[in-house]
Amino acid sequence: MKAALRLGMALAFLALPTFSAQADPAAGEKIFNDGKCTDCHYTKGPAREKTIADQLAKKGPELWYAGSKFQKEWLAGWLQDPKPIRPLKFNSMTEKNPADHPKLAKADAGAVTDFLMSLTSDAVKPVKIKAKRNPKGRLIFTKKMPCSGCHQYPGRKGKISGGLMGPTLVGAGKRLNSDWIYAYLQQPKVFKPVKMMPVFVGLLSDKDMKNVTSYVANFKK
Amino acid sequence: MLKKTMIAAALIGAAFATAAPAEAEDAEVMYKFYCAQCHGLTGKGDGPNVTKDFPVSPRNFTSAAEMNKLTDADMKNVVMDGGPAASKSPMMPPWSKTLTDAEVDALVGHLRKLCQCKGKQG
Ligand code: HEC
Ligand code: HEC
Ligand code: HEC
Repeated sequence: MKAALRLGMALAFLALPTFSAQADPAAGEKIFNDGKCTDCHYTKGPAREKTIADQLAKKGPELWYAGSKFQKEWLAGWLQDPKPIRPLKFNSMTEKNPADHPKLAKADAGAVTDFLMSLTSDAVKPVKIKAKRNPKGRLIFTKKMPCSGCHQYPGRKGKISGGLMGPTLVGAGKRLNSDWIYAYLQQPKVFKPVKMMPVFVGLLSDKDMKNVTSYVANFKK
Repeated sequence: MLKKTMIAAALIGAAFATAAPAEAEDAEVMYKFYCAQCHGLTGKGDGPNVTKDFPVSPRNFTSAAEMNKLTDADMKNVVMDGGPAASKSPMMPPWSKTLTDAEVDALVGHLRKLCQCKGKQG
């Protein structure tokens, strides 16, 4: 009897991911819309920004490719405890990030995560770049190209250094999907037609884009 | 006479159309968006990316003495192809794939406003 119960529970547990109310993007979408998330984020692609003014008018980053960009586990955690990603306030060059992003309770965060993970972009292909301390990628990031001039990253012995205008890349290996990092370098206009980061297409070879992606994806902490 | 004026007007119209297409950005707006993050909003080389870790100091665009050492062509070359194109630091990014030729010319013009200098003639 006990064993049967246990078996039953185990089976129910296995079945959970497919039948559970948690994997219900529609419920998450409702919470997203009701929670005024739409005041600052848009969730329908393609990218809308055409001019610098368009980019500067935004109150938060676009989320229409969130499911391709983020790792699910990170997203569910961040929505409950949103720590600053950009060192400076969004679209500001002078003010610090106020660390005041709206928080969600656990259940709502789960549903919103399911909704956001359902927003994907065809431009992101499964390349499966391995995250590692790629020496060529490191050389590009720290010496050959100005990446470290605009992004915080964990350098030697985990010491954090780098510029403040870009989103921090500390922990990028837990936050970002490596396939997206590569797609973003390779086809920046699809995701950010107008941006402060230079376009590196034609300046970095395809191989080097993969090397630098592998290096960035290894920032696990 | 009338015909000539009309041709002239058409020519001016055409010149405007090529110099300022619908999407062309204003030089100051571009400077504040792309360059100020390192060179500072007023051009003093003190943008938010320049932390204590930054290995070199970005050019101070308000120093006429420094800026007079460069021709407009020198500047365009560095903005397009990055610091290493002029044996300078790679922390100065290459913008050739981000900005158009005309946009970089406009930016060079803006830098001349910041230094209030004409630059080396060359
Ligand atoms: C007042 C504007 C505002 C509202 C309302 C808002 N956000 Fe945000 N959101 C931001 C800003 C600004 C950032 C960038 C935060 C950072 O970099 O630390 C952000 C970042 C995010 C990110 C990470 C995106 C990225 O590219 O880094 C997600 C996911 C997100 N918000 C989801 C939500 C959800 C879900 C809600 C509703 C519960 C919401 N936001 C409500 C402004 C807002
Ligand atoms: C001049 C400053 C600058 C330089 C140089 C720069 N970036 Fe960025 N980067 C940014 C900014 C600002 C953003 C955020 C939005 C955008 O794209 O403008 C960004 C976004 C990113 C993102 C996405 C992060 C996120 O959470 O959305 C990655 C990954 C990235 N950069 C990697 C790199 C790499 C690799 C290099 C070097 C090859 C590099 N960056 C060079 C400023 C810069
Ligand atoms: C990531 C930081 C960064 C950004 C963004 C940046 N610069 Fe620079 N720039 C530098 C640094 C650092 C130097 C100095 C290089 C050296 O002295 O080795 C420099 C130097 C220059 C020089 C002088 C070159 C010389 O020969 O002395 C010019 C001109 C220039 N930048 C223009 C621009 C323009 C225009 C933009 C915007 C489109 C821009 N920069 C954006 C970091 C940056």
